[in-house]
Amino acid sequence: MAFSKPQAAQNASRSQPENHSTRWLREHKEVVVSSWWQLWKTPFTNLLTWLTLAIALTLPTALLLLLSQAQHLGQQVNQSNHISLFLAPYVSLEQGQLITNKLVLRRDIAKATYISAEQALIDFKASSGLEDILTSLTENPIPATIIIEPAEAFLDSTAIAKLAQQLRQQEQIDQVLVDMAWLDRLQALLETSQRFTYSLAILLALGVLLVVGNTVRLQIESRKQEILVIKLVGGTDAYLRRPFLYAGFWAGLFAALIAGVILQLGTSYLQPSILLLAQSYQSDWQLKGLSWMGGLILVITSCGLSVLGASLTVGRQLRLIEPK
Amino acid sequence: MIRFEQVNKKYHDKNALVNTNFHLKRGDMAFLTGHSGAGKSTLLKLIMLMERPSSGKVIVDRQDLSQLKRTQVPAHRRKIGLVFQNHQLLMDYSVFDNVALPLKISGYNERDSGRRVRAALDKVGLLDKERLLPQVLSSGEQQRVGIARAIVNKPKLILADEPTGNLDPALSTEIMRLFQQFNQVGVSVLIASHDLGLIQRLPHPVIQLDQGRISGPPSVMRQ
Repeated sequence: MAFSKPQAAQNASRSQPENHSTRWLREHKEVVVSSWWQLWKTPFTNLLTWLTLAIALTLPTALLLLLSQAQHLGQQVNQSNHISLFLAPYVSLEQGQLITNKLVLRRDIAKATYISAEQALIDFKASSGLEDILTSLTENPIPATIIIEPAEAFLDSTAIAKLAQQLRQQEQIDQVLVDMAWLDRLQALLETSQRFTYSLAILLALGVLLVVGNTVRLQIESRKQEILVIKLVGGTDAYLRRPFLYAGFWAGLFAALIAGVILQLGTSYLQPSILLLAQSYQSDWQLKGLSWMGGLILVITSCGLSVLGASLTVGRQLRLIEPK
Repeated sequence: MIRFEQVNKKYHDKNALVNTNFHLKRGDMAFLTGHSGAGKSTLLKLIMLMERPSSGKVIVDRQDLSQLKRTQVPAHRRKIGLVFQNHQLLMDYSVFDNVALPLKISGYNERDSGRRVRAALDKVGLLDKERLLPQVLSSGEQQRVGIARAIVNKPKLILADEPTGNLDPALSTEIMRLFQQFNQVGVSVLIASHDLGLIQRLPHPVIQLDQGRISGPPSVMRQ
């Protein structure tokens, strides 16, 4: 090149900047690579940031995961709605069966199963593990029971309440137990947990924004001299912003990966105890880890939040650095 | 190339430049001199759009700078090669990468950029040091890297702020010779310097600033 005129003119035709989109693509590729290498200049600091972000991501994700599966369980339980009728002690076996047969004829009852007091005691002995105590009793404390499954069309809570009310009026029935109450409670509990989780998720998302913003602010501060020189030789704001946005992207990606690992470890740690708990309720319910789709959503959310956090800081911060 | 029309610059109550008029023609080379605090830096900052005048007009390459918005400032700066007294090299960039910076910003690809960087380094005699970090170079060499960076984008105008400030006379003469070479191929050059001994030995007009006013012998520069 040099500054001899003919050669300069010759060069001008050869080394023109390329067209806009190829240049844009190439510049982004370059920044992806250079911001990647920039990460490993301060690996320890970056690791701390990623861990902080990962913890902020893990908490709400774990709660959402648990909640979605608990809701699924709740729905299952809801479908096996039943009413228990405890018969008065004086009702004989025959009378009990008669009542049961009559009940089945009702339009709003799909199925009624009679369990004699003796049978109920045997069942209870088997499932409770209190066999010794129960055997030592002289009298059977457990009443005969009729288990009712309402017809499909009468499964809503008002219909069930009405049915229960009518059954209560029958003389031979001591007590009517509707499982609706605890189902309602379960629903309310799930609803509360859901709202709690959403609030927590919003708070922690805000935390992610702040952490990334602050990290980027420190990075800008430490590269102040470079930014000044780049501004003086004519670097645009977009050019200056880019490496920091990609730094945010990398932070988001690594945080999501770490959070994914923590979630899988946590799931397998909890699995045995949850299995025991489920078995005690005669359920084969299992805690499932993060699905591929869930993982993808986690990565996208994390990267999105981090890039947003970086971009919120970087513009303002870069404007503060002006050559004087 | 550069035209100042009735330019005033005030910082708070202090006048940094008062009614400044001058014209550096395309392809000319001139010195800007005066005591420290006389307004040399302010004048250069106005040309670089690091500052805006309080009143008056600054025109660079036929462009009235007051018309430029914030977003147009980078493009304006890319047209000017700037050489600093303390060279402003990035110490964790290699010599090559320091010189390549303006090209990278302008979006040159690696092949074209490499060719231009080597040509610029060749021009200042540092081709064999492209892989080194600036801190292992002498101050004269560092200044030449700064000059290579200023010329790599083939600017029409070179501004230099005390480019020989930290150098011994022999090195200073060598640096000035470089600027003269650029000027000979048509680049306009404006050099702020208080090295009067050196300036007087060179056949270029001098703009003398004294407390924000252009004074001294009337030169071809003054209108």
